Order: sequence, then structure tokens, then C-alpha cells
Amino acid sequence: MISAINSEIIPENWYNVIPDLPEPLPPPKDSKAEFSSINLLNKILPKEVLRQEFTFKRYEKIPDEVIEQYEQIGRPTPLIRAKNLEKYLDYGGKIFYKFEGATATGSHKINTAIAQAYYAKNEGVNGVTTETGAGQWGSATALAASLYKLPAQIFMVKVSFIQKPLRKIVMNLYNGNVVPSPSNLTEYGRKILSENPDHPGTLGIGISEAVEYALDHDYRYMVASVMNSALTHQSVIGLETKKQLELIGEHADVLIGCVGGGSNFGGFTFPFIPDHPDTEIIATTADEVPKFSKGDYKYDLMDSAGVLPEVRMYSLGADFVPPTIYAGGLRYHGASPSLSLLINKGRIKSDEVNQEEVKNAIRTFANTQGIIAAPESGHAIATMLNYVKAHKNEKKTIVVNVSGHGLLDLSIFQ
Amino acid sequence: MKNLIPYFTLGYPDNNTLKDFLMAMPVNKINYIEFGFPSDDPRYDGPTIRITHRVGNQNFNDGFYKPIFQYFKSNGIKMYSLSYYSDIGPKFEDFISYLISRGFSGIIIPDLIIDYYSEAEEKISYLNNKNFEYIPFFSPSTPDHIIKKIAEMTSSWIYYGLQPSTGIDIPYEIDYTTERINQLLPGREITYGFGIKTEEDIKQLMKNGGSGVAIGSYIEKMLEKNDKKGFLDYINKIRGVLDDE
Ligand SMILES: Cc1ncc(COP(=O)(O)O)c(C=O)c1O
Repeated sequence: MISAINSEIIPENWYNVIPDLPEPLPPPKDSKAEFSSINLLNKILPKEVLRQEFTFKRYEKIPDEVIEQYEQIGRPTPLIRAKNLEKYLDYGGKIFYKFEGATATGSHKINTAIAQAYYAKNEGVNGVTTETGAGQWGSATALAASLYKLPAQIFMVKVSFIQKPLRKIVMNLYNGNVVPSPSNLTEYGRKILSENPDHPGTLGIGISEAVEYALDHDYRYMVASVMNSALTHQSVIGLETKKQLELIGEHADVLIGCVGGGSNFGGFTFPFIPDHPDTEIIATTADEVPKFSKGDYKYDLMDSAGVLPEVRMYSLGADFVPPTIYAGGLRYHGASPSLSLLINKGRIKSDEVNQEEVKNAIRTFANTQGIIAAPESGHAIATMLNYVKAHKNEKKTIVVNVSGHGLLDLSIFQ
Repeated sequence: MKNLIPYFTLGYPDNNTLKDFLMAMPVNKINYIEFGFPSDDPRYDGPTIRITHRVGNQNFNDGFYKPIFQYFKSNGIKMYSLSYYSDIGPKFEDFISYLISRGFSGIIIPDLIIDYYSEAEEKISYLNNKNFEYIPFFSPSTPDHIIKKIAEMTSSWIYYGLQPSTGIDIPYEIDYTTERINQLLPGREITYGFGIKTEEDIKQLMKNGGSGVAIGSYIEKMLEKNDKKGFLDYINKIRGVLDDE
């Protein structure tokens, strides 16, 4: 694409929804009496990321260096009218999809990884570290770190490490160091291994290992989702979408996205909150992880190890063990506090779809549009297909976020 | 004159030490005083103040403090209660009557508009009718439209917390903060608090239109160490910083 057009579509500022929420956002809370896990954030996050976490500023300037890298990894991503699908469904309205699978790492995760790595680099730290489940986040972290010439230490949940060897190769190609977690790189990992050498690992253990590693090596911890700063960085998705719709004279009646921690969803939909009061917004989760219908809106731990503060969110409990569904990115027990509040107040609706519906949706989308969506994104597509069926004659303009491609997750169709 | 508003959790570290500090405090250097009624769940306080609630809960005894409240009232120091709605909600009207009987001028309820927003309007009207000041407590996560709405329902001073909880160290942006607040609340008396880091920051806040500061965590640390001199020096120092402006 021509860069003059890019620069028109990529926004100059990220959008932060906090000042536009219908009610005050309950702040994070320390769960332990004599230790501040909120304060711990000072030591593990880049200062700028932490500032953005708690800012009330509606707009944050995107640093020029970050915009430059956004262009390099494929931003703006395309907004495509799914005409083949419309025809297939015999739908009188319009269906658009924003395709985050078009970025270099194949998902939206790179949008916040670049920002966080940039701020870490600016502070002159030794490197960055994080946990990853299925590997999308680890891949984004590895590439972002590599772009800023920072070492990246990635703790990958051991079962995924064994089940998804290709992801490890991707991260290695981006110069990332990947170890199965629990690992012997940290005291916490060694302790778990000594109790059970075959421990399969969990995201909670991965987070604890990464935080410990950050503290011990003057690294910074990269936040995949849930926290406000990550959602703010992801707003580039929705801001581009708004602009792209505006350029073709379209208005979104319905926005649909999938929710793991809420980062692609919040990034995609929140920029529409202040000036699209009539736009219907739907958040899809997996049937197997029914956080919005069966979870409680309460203070709960962000990670099962309790390293990070508690936040008020819809949660199935930090010790919730989800079934091993194939959409690894949707297995998280909670959802970002701002998204949770908007759902609780009724501004955003939620939907749940099951694995069969998702597989069929991915198939239909592949057959008509040629895009093989990530299993996570397949949930949003399934909700969209159900929506079209239920509102056949309403001729709405529906926009769905396809947060990633599924080319490394094909085993689900074997 | 800019306002200096010291904060004390009642009953911390014990009743006699607190009384000793309170009676030694030069009343001409402070403007209002904020008393924390010990809470079972001081959820929006940081680690330092959280501990004071736990201890205070065991020690607080109204009879002991009654003459102290009387002393401040007779010296013209307005007293404000800091209380959590999760504690006082079930007996709200009784608690307000009690505060009035002890000479308090108003109340700060940090969790009211966060966790009990749907009840806030009714409670504020109740306090307005009693002529008892409701001090709105806002923070960076309070949406703009709510700051405006709640402020319009009240005429008292406003407490703006710079941090998500007290005594912790998250980067804040003074110039943006004061710009936002001055724009949303032109002409209102604004007290800044909740984890102000340095004297420079206090100066900056006052220069940008702030009308006073509330200080808490540092005082609690002096109380813990029973360092009365450190406490008095601190009060004098902050008074000096405020008077410079
Ligand atoms: C492609 C894709 N979509 C969605 C998600 C869910 O995360 P979030 O809700 O933070 O966007 C993930 C997480 O791994 C993902 O890889």
C-alpha cells in the first residue's frame, strides 16, 4: 500500500476509554495485607506503560518510532467487505471484517508488543520477558523485542511447548529465547519442578516465572491483555476501522469480536463508544469459558499465582481450569475491567458459541473469503453468522474483527 | 491561604500515642483534619494505611475521642470523616447523626461512587438536606461526566486522589491532572492527596490552582515510630511549602 494512504489511516493517537466509561472504573486492589502488588508494577513494567495504565487522558500520542514499526509489520490492516459471504448467506445488509491476521506475526498481539518493547528499550533495560500459552503472544513479544534489539525471554506453558513445536520455531526465528514453563530459570519454576518434574505448566506459573525473571535480571514484563494499557495500544484496530469506514461512507450498526482477556475486542470496539451510542456491540466467548454468563462481576486475581493485583472483572475464579479447547487464547478466567464494566452496565452485550459452531464458521469463512481465521477469531465469526441469521431482514452493516489467522492451528481440522 | 489537611486513622497506633500527637499539633498550621474511621475493608487504601485500619479497629473507642473532637471543633478546625460505605452503608443515617453530634462538618466516602454508584445520588441528597458536607472523592479513573455530575450536586471542597490507592508510587502527570480538573471544575476548591511524592509536586499542584493538600501515609509512619518530632517538623515543613505559594 502507498504510505501516504497508510499515514491517513494509522491514527496519531491511541484511544483510552476510561474517561468515557458510564461509571468510575474500580481501581486495582492489593490482595495481600502487607505487600503492594500494585507497587510491584513499578518494578516490572516500563514507567510509560504504567503511566498509561492509570491515565485519564482520552488520547495518548503514538510515538513516531512506533508508527514506523506499525507500518513495517503491516499496518494499517485491511478492512474488507465480505461480499462472497454476504452472497452465500443471501444477506441484504453488509458484512465487513477487519483482518488483524495480516500483520507480520499473524494476530493483533503485535500492536501492544511493539509499544511495550519500545518503552522498555527507551528505559535502557536489559531485555523483556513474558509468558505465552498458545504462542501468539510469545511470537509478538519476540518480534517486537527483536525490532528494538532487546533480548526476549519467553516462558511457554509446557503442554503447548510440546504440542505446538512450530510456534517455538517462529519465536526462535525472531531471536526469542523460549523455555517450557515450569523451567529451571527461576526459583519458582525450580520449586515446582522439584515437586513434580512432569508438571504441564499453566499461564499462572508462566506469569510468576516471567515476573521473577524480570525482577532478577532488570528486564521488563510484557502484558499480553486484560490491563488497560494493552487495550489502549490495541485501539489502533478500532481507530483504523473507524477511519476506513468513514472513507467509504459507511456506518457500523454492529461490532463483533472475541474475548480472551479483552485486548483485541476492547481495541476494536472502544473507539466507537464515545460517538456511536447506537452501535450494537457484541463480545463473544467460548461456551466452555462462560465468563460473562456464569462468572461473577467481582474483585479477583489477574493471575492464578497472585503476583499481580486484583481487579474488578467478570471472572470464573483465578483457579478456574478451562477445558482444553483449541482456542487457547480464550481460556482466560476473566476479562479486562473496562470491558467488564461496559458489559455489566449493558452497553456491550455478550454471546457464547461452542466448538462445533466455531469450526463450521471457520470453514464457511475460508470457503467464501479464503481467510483461515484463528480459532479465537472463529468465535467472532460464528456469532456474526448467528446474528445474520437472526436479523436476516434488517440490512445492517456488521463489522467483525478477525483477530488472527489460524495457519498454525490447523491441527484442529485433522 | 492554601489548606493543609492531615489524616489520621482513629486508634492507630494506639489511642494514647495518637492523642499525644494530635494535642501537640499546632492548630494554627492546619486547616481541616481528616479522621479515618477504622474499616473492615479499606479497599482503596495502600499498604501503609491498610495496616492502620486493622490496628485502629481494635483500639477505637468513641468515649476516648469525644473530648478530642470537641477540642478541634472549639479551635475552629473543621473535621471530616473518611469512612467506607461498605462499613457505614447499613446504618448510614445513624452514622451521620453520630458525626454531627461529634462536631464533624462532612464526610469522604471513597467507595461510594465506585462500588455503590446507583445509591450515590440519594445519599448525597440526604447529606445536602442535613447540611452536612459530602466531599466528592475523584481519581484518575473517574470518568469526566461523573466528575461534573457529582460536583454539581455538591458545593463543598473536592478531594482528588492522584494515585489508584494511597502511599504507592505510580507515575502521575501533574500538569495534565490540574488542567483536566480546572477545566471540569472551574472555581472549585480542590484538595489533592493520595500519594503525593515530593514537595516540588505540592508546589506545582498549588501553582496550578490547587487549594490544598491532604497528607496521610507519611504521618502514619511517624506515628508508627512514635516520632513526634518528625511529625511536627513535617507539618511545619509542608505548611512552609504551602505558604510559599
Ligand atoms: C488470534 C487471537 N485472538 C484473540 C485472542 C484473545 O486475546 P484478547 O482477548 O486479549 O484479544 C488471542 C490470544 O491469544 C489470539 O491469539
